[in-house]
Amino acid sequence: VGTVADKPRLALRARRGGPARPTRGAQSRRASRTGALLVSPAVVLVVAFVLFPLGYAVYISLTNWPLLGPYHFVGLANYKQLVHDSGFKHSVIFTLEYTAIVTPPIFIVGYGLAALLRANRFGAKVFRTIFFLPFVVGLSTVSFIFEIELQPNSGGVDFLLSKLGIVSDTHTWTVNETSALIAISVIVVWFASGLTMLILTGGMQGIPSELYEAADVDGASWWTKEWRITLPMLRRSIALALIISVIGSFLAFNQFYILAQNNVGLETVVEWIYQTAFTRFQVGYATAMAICLVVVIALITMAQFWLLRDDTEL
Amino acid sequence: MTEVATYYDPALEQAMPAPRRRRGAGFWVYLGVATSLAVVFVLPIVWAVLRSFQPARLSSLAPQSADFTHMTVQNYRAVSHGQYDILPNLLNSVIVGLGTVILTTVVATLAGYGLAKFRFRGSGVVFGVILLALMIPFQAVLTPLYLELSDLHLTNNLIGLILVYSTFNLPFGVFVMRNSFQQVPQELVESARVDGAGVMFTLMKVMRPLILPGLATCAMYAFLYAWTELLQALTFVQSPEKLTLPAKLYEVTTSTYGSINNAYLSAGVVIAMVPCLVLYFALQRYYVQGMMSGAVKG
Repeated sequence: VGTVADKPRLALRARRGGPARPTRGAQSRRASRTGALLVSPAVVLVVAFVLFPLGYAVYISLTNWPLLGPYHFVGLANYKQLVHDSGFKHSVIFTLEYTAIVTPPIFIVGYGLAALLRANRFGAKVFRTIFFLPFVVGLSTVSFIFEIELQPNSGGVDFLLSKLGIVSDTHTWTVNETSALIAISVIVVWFASGLTMLILTGGMQGIPSELYEAADVDGASWWTKEWRITLPMLRRSIALALIISVIGSFLAFNQFYILAQNNVGLETVVEWIYQTAFTRFQVGYATAMAICLVVVIALITMAQFWLLRDDTEL
Repeated sequence: MTEVATYYDPALEQAMPAPRRRRGAGFWVYLGVATSLAVVFVLPIVWAVLRSFQPARLSSLAPQSADFTHMTVQNYRAVSHGQYDILPNLLNSVIVGLGTVILTTVVATLAGYGLAKFRFRGSGVVFGVILLALMIPFQAVLTPLYLELSDLHLTNNLIGLILVYSTFNLPFGVFVMRNSFQQVPQELVESARVDGAGVMFTLMKVMRPLILPGLATCAMYAFLYAWTELLQALTFVQSPEKLTLPAKLYEVTTSTYGSINNAYLSAGVVIAMVPCLVLYFALQRYYVQGMMSGAVKG
């Protein structure tokens, strides 16, 4: 760092009369200005495209804003209307159902994958790479793949399932509500369990192996070790994995928008908000829904902080 | 939030090789289970690639839909010119992807540097604001963002998308970069200053090698986000020639191109997948590290 080439510049500065070594106060004042300057672009962007829209959203939600044309203030009317809106309520209940359906399998499969590769046996790294592959491709692309493969007759899903003797005839997977939900849930478990696996793997590597050795000495069974050592020690990783998965499911859009295009029964909250604003042109009303969404997400995030808190008794 | 996340350290894994076991029945069960699972995880992706090389007439015919013996590049030719040309959309996605990477990494690096290495009044507030942004999903501010971008004449505009994508990648990026800078020893920064190096010189020359892993993580996440995002791409851009690749592919699924839909879509899907897979295999280490250190959002 302190190369010879740098020295003359320093000497030059001293000769010019500038303070070669500024006083502590001046130095910290300059550091303070530099620090503020460095963070300012980030602050500008976050304020412009996150905080301002958030405040704006509160205002819009109190109006009858159409996409184009004049609007006026309506107070809490949008929120009152929400309570009686069966379409919105349906989308909320459906999204909660979907979240309840996919969260346990994503967790169990992810945990299973992490536990399978925990000992870092032969090939563990390669397997880990492969299990995470669907997540890397991205949910929109994954949905397009299955848009092709779920088609009746020509799709690969029907082909494989009939070869395996699981189904005997072809299915119009995405038209029927139940079968579309089953198909999408299976796809999402396939897509997301690699992420849970990685988060839990990180946690598992932090568990001291002496604990397991001590348990082995005591003759503990595999179940006892998982139940008494792994699960309690993984509490924070588990909370993180579950919350990421719950928020992801609660904000689901791509998979339903692409794979259940004509299936009105399978509209998630985000899809409903999007449709209300941009195809039914009720921007004010849609924004009131979005505010409810922010509140729910904020509650989940607070739960996250609480579950992930550092506590000394552990 | 990064303080609470756990780290997955590949180096640790290498440092502690598994003790040599007798390869008994347990080992073969493990290998069998893991290999079968690997097939399940990789099959749809391989199938999708094979599918894209299938002649268009086969991919929509039931008995032949799994016939991969007549491979051809005709689907790729079809989506690269004429009526179903997706190359302009591919170019849009490249522009948006690279733009998002550059803006996100530059802004996150500056902010991470400022937060980790400078003490200034309000730094706590700045950190709090960025924390807050982490909790707000873009889905929740879609409508005000649309109205705001429209007022700024940034709807139907790739720059608008770049700005929004970068902003929603910033909280994660700033966390990663702040962590990277915190790991740079303070003595190094001090000695650079004593030697007369300026703030930017210190950043560019002295610290760069030390923050590269963080930078790679940050850049990769920004790219993959911008490359696969659909909802904002559909909301903020309307004209067909401005659509990004996922939005264009969505258009293909809803349009009435008929039975050849599948053929176009299958080629488009592979084109959309390739950059993600290449990045993943090339920079896998940073990918996994980043996922462990800052995986805070679904």
